[in-house]
Amino acid sequence: MTGLGEIEYTAIRELRGPLAVVEGVAGVGWDEFVRITLDSGEQRHGLVLEVDRGLAVVQVLEDTAGMDPARVRMAFAGEPLRVPVGSGWLGRVCNGRGEPIDGGPPVFGSATAAVGGNPINPVRREPPAEPVLTGVGVVDALTTLVRGQKLPVFSVAGLPHLELAAQVAAQSTAAGEAFSVVFAGMGLTHADASFVRDALEERSAAGELVLLLNTADDPVIERILTPRIALTVAEHLAFGSGRHVLVVMTDMTSYAEALREVSAARGEIPARRAYPGYLYSDLASLYERCGRIRGRPGSVTVLPVLTMPAGDITHPVPDLTGYITEGQIVLSRETHAQGVYPPVDALSSLSRLMRKGAGPGRTRPDHLDVAAQMLAALARARQVRELADLVGQAALSPADHRYLDFDEAFLRRFVHQRLDELRTLDETLDSAWQVLLTLPRSQLAMLPSALLDAHGAERG
Amino acid sequence: MRPPAPDQAASALQPVRERLLRSARADAEELLARADQEAGALLDAARAQAAAILDDARKQGEADAAQGHTAELTRVRRTTRARELAVRRQAYEELRRRTTERVRELRHTPDYPAIRDRLTRRARRLLGPDCEVAEHPGGGIVAHAPGRRADCTLDALAARALDRLGAQTETLWAP
Repeated sequence: MTGLGEIEYTAIRELRGPLAVVEGVAGVGWDEFVRITLDSGEQRHGLVLEVDRGLAVVQVLEDTAGMDPARVRMAFAGEPLRVPVGSGWLGRVCNGRGEPIDGGPPVFGSATAAVGGNPINPVRREPPAEPVLTGVGVVDALTTLVRGQKLPVFSVAGLPHLELAAQVAAQSTAAGEAFSVVFAGMGLTHADASFVRDALEERSAAGELVLLLNTADDPVIERILTPRIALTVAEHLAFGSGRHVLVVMTDMTSYAEALREVSAARGEIPARRAYPGYLYSDLASLYERCGRIRGRPGSVTVLPVLTMPAGDITHPVPDLTGYITEGQIVLSRETHAQGVYPPVDALSSLSRLMRKGAGPGRTRPDHLDVAAQMLAALARARQVRELADLVGQAALSPADHRYLDFDEAFLRRFVHQRLDELRTLDETLDSAWQVLLTLPRSQLAMLPSALLDAHGAERG
Repeated sequence: MRPPAPDQAASALQPVRERLLRSARADAEELLARADQEAGALLDAARAQAAAILDDARKQGEADAAQGHTAELTRVRRTTRARELAVRRQAYEELRRRTTERVRELRHTPDYPAIRDRLTRRARRLLGPDCEVAEHPGGGIVAHAPGRRADCTLDALAARALDRLGAQTETLWAP
């Protein structure tokens, strides 16, 4: 962790909620890391929220409860929080500020890095390429995740987005190359945190996982550090030791709410829905830390999960996230109500970089054709369903009826899978073919004849 | 018109009766055949359904067993890992304890006055020449100036040295 200055400040003017005001400080800057020592020897930590002449406002991470202003000492680090980096993180479970909660010693690293980090220099960026296979059929087939991509999951409260995030984190692979997952849970309930630990136990035991858990009752300022620590650790695992790293961050809405709270504590002018005006650039400073670097092995792929309050996709968090990221996986309430998991709304979902990660030489030669045909058929099925709502099913043509059957088969036989089911790409694409072949050959115009023949499409 | 004699009427209706009877028999046969067919289809469907239910039950049973096995495996893995980490933590704490003890022993060495003077000079550099310097019972000094404090105790020195060790600490348990 960050090295601390030898001078400790003892003139604490007041303690207010999670804030402490210190007098007579010199050379202290914003966001500096602070160690707070109580008379009992107990140590707490904080961040400098504001400095005005000799006064510094420190947000105490563990809250100020039980602190006596006359018996507290504060040492400033002279720099923002740094964390050790390296493979020592693998297999560890830590809280939102990177301290172990698994009963082990602190995490050690051969070097330290500032958690603020820097997005990759655009000149040194290598475009994302090659897939990360998640083992979740509908994601791999229709919204392929590409190494170095940022692809958010848009969900609403009550949908199984955490289950999906955990399943992706537990199952993802990069074609046999060294692969690790950094899972940053923010604002999780204790039950959710425990679910995540269970779901990822195997990967953790295999030394392929870093788990950072910030629970809903943890301090908000810690929630702001959590994704930054996760990304810092991921960057060094990726570009320092050549691993492909998937960073799953959930829930980004909870993160943005923490940012709003801290911004209010700093007295900043609120913008849309009281989020700070810099919400866009703040989110970008996280999402843009993914990518690949020219001349170096490894990649950082980011999968942020966010819940849209009241299902509103125009809410600032999904709205601004959508500007920065490269597509989205949208979960749907209707599909969930039909008992289908994962309830992905395939027509609203999109991976903008899919062509760089799927197709000949990357996944399977027929992948892109199958995906395109699947989406075209789904779009037609949706039109047919709307038509049926107007004129009744009896008035539909036989071809239209086949589309309704296709839609049903798509959900039940293709999308639906168990929480612990790892579907290989071949299994996924084969089941996509089976579902597509419920349609007459004449409706599969986007698939080459040779492929249709090879898969035994009915003639005529 | 004069009505036909009864025997004449009976013979005249004979073909009609036969035709009706044939038709009724044919209908009955067709009905029977259809009923047989439907019964057969129903039986087939029931058999298929029973097979599917059995198949599902078997799969569910296998999945449950696999899940139970996975849960057990997860529990064992977690316990093993927790033990390993706990042992590492003990080793680390032991290192801290012993290091602090060894540094404290400096108090009883002939070099200690020189060390204390160096620490005093350092504290005065940090807090200014007017700061109050007091010897700490554990060794080293603590300096005070209004609103500021410099911890130059032997314990603090040991802690800083340990923090600087970083990844080298892992040699305690690395193979």
